[in-house]
Amino acid sequence: MDNENESFKIDFLSTSGVYKTPFTLIIFVQLFIGGIILIIINLWFINSLYFLLTGNEFYAFGIVGEWYFWLLLPLSIYGNIFLFAFSIMISSAGIFKLLNKLHPPREGVFEKGSKDWKYMHRRFWIAYFPIWLARALPLPWADIFVYRLFGVHIGKNVVAYEGYIDPEFVEIGDFTMTSINICIFSHLIYHDKLIIKKVKIGNECIVGPQTIITPGTIMQDRSVLGANSYTNIGQELKSDLIHVGIPVSISFPIQTLEESIEKADAIKKSDHDLNKGGVN
Amino acid sequence: MFQPASLKGISPCPIDERIRKRFLILYILIILLSFIPCSLFEYFYIIYFWEEGSYWLFFLLLPINILILAYILQLSAILFSFLFLTILRLLHEPKEGKFNRNIKDKDYLYWNLRNLVKKWPLFITASIPFPWLKNRFTLRFFGTKIGKKCICDNSWISSEFVSIGRNVIIGMGTTILSFGIEQDNFILQKIIIEDNVLIGAKCSVMYGSTIKEGVKLSAHSFTNPYQVLEKDSIYIGHPAKLKS
Repeated sequence: MDNENESFKIDFLSTSGVYKTPFTLIIFVQLFIGGIILIIINLWFINSLYFLLTGNEFYAFGIVGEWYFWLLLPLSIYGNIFLFAFSIMISSAGIFKLLNKLHPPREGVFEKGSKDWKYMHRRFWIAYFPIWLARALPLPWADIFVYRLFGVHIGKNVVAYEGYIDPEFVEIGDFTMTSINICIFSHLIYHDKLIIKKVKIGNECIVGPQTIITPGTIMQDRSVLGANSYTNIGQELKSDLIHVGIPVSISFPIQTLEESIEKADAIKKSDHDLNKGGVN
Repeated sequence: MFQPASLKGISPCPIDERIRKRFLILYILIILLSFIPCSLFEYFYIIYFWEEGSYWLFFLLLPINILILAYILQLSAILFSFLFLTILRLLHEPKEGKFNRNIKDKDYLYWNLRNLVKKWPLFITASIPFPWLKNRFTLRFFGTKIGKKCICDNSWISSEFVSIGRNVIIGMGTTILSFGIEQDNFILQKIIIEDNVLIGAKCSVMYGSTIKEGVKLSAHSFTNPYQVLEKDSIYIGHPAKLKS
């Protein structure tokens, strides 16, 4: 194993999970912030539009039968959806930062019910609703935007749409691709303990489908994690290699197309010769 | 928790296409019926709050209105599908066993019909953005026993023949399937998960397996059909083997 010199060893890999605490009611606050910003801007916008076109500042509640109202309606609906989502994202990132001032998040192994455990749950419940919204929006960059707001370092040109990613202690470099149904955990339940450790994914990495990246994993630049494999806690994946295994134990070099074709031809030839030999 | 919309943990309820075609009207009927309480609620909301001098209250309560609307939709969907489910159960009692995968087989037909009835509320529950009254709340109505203090909202749990004890943690992307297909046979067999069990991420628990108290099943492993995992031990592998 690669992590023999690691101080904390585990005998099985579990999952990340978050209990439902009374702090989930923060979603009401987020909903109200989003809703009120939406309503105020809408009222101001409609009122000023009315003023521009009619010279009258009075806005009567009720559907206005003017043509421009119906012309701008689709734009208004789209705009309202994005306004609602982005105001919630930005405001809850602010709440997130305030909470981090109260109790700065730190790495380590914590007992269930301790202060760090509680604050981790609070951070996750603040991040829950904005990330849900970002992932429900049709914009492909919305979820990367919201992760960046919550302090996850994500480089440029990153593919990270189709998997669970924790909203803290994760670092993803430039030009990295992640595949479908992956889990990037920066925290893990182990018996009654909670492990929090930073995950680092370098530049130009590829994370294969159905993989689990556990806390403390460091993927160096241009390394590849094969499909259906998971990493141990604190494991380091060397650069320019393909890593496979449950947990990762085999690694082999990335080949160019010419090299692989050459090797395949050699194997075909040897098979052919063997068959001939068998017949003769 | 932070899953994209494509992985939102809806309970698996596949439906045979031949049966789905024939009973599509039933499915649409449940959807339509479940929207009636929503429209009633919205009617009364507008009647009471859309008045001169109190428009601000209408707008102030709009976020709450949306939240209540989502839950009314969920509860009415559960109610109507539960009504149809009880009728189906009276017509033909659901039971475990090995059946023929054929529409003429009564058990297979009624299993599909039950799935057809349950699909809409399960979809609604998985789609609601709020963390309260999630999957486990709906699954309890359909006869799945789930204990208190569980984490099980990010996993795909079958809606029948599953019993989960107290204080169980089921990982992200884990599937718990109480049904299976073996060539021409269709199998329904109960899964029992006892108290204090921890199941890792991306496991699959197959039909008929029993997970006893205090078992830890490591991530990315699966259990064989009818496998029994012994008390207070750690299991790893494909299929799960006792870790020495």
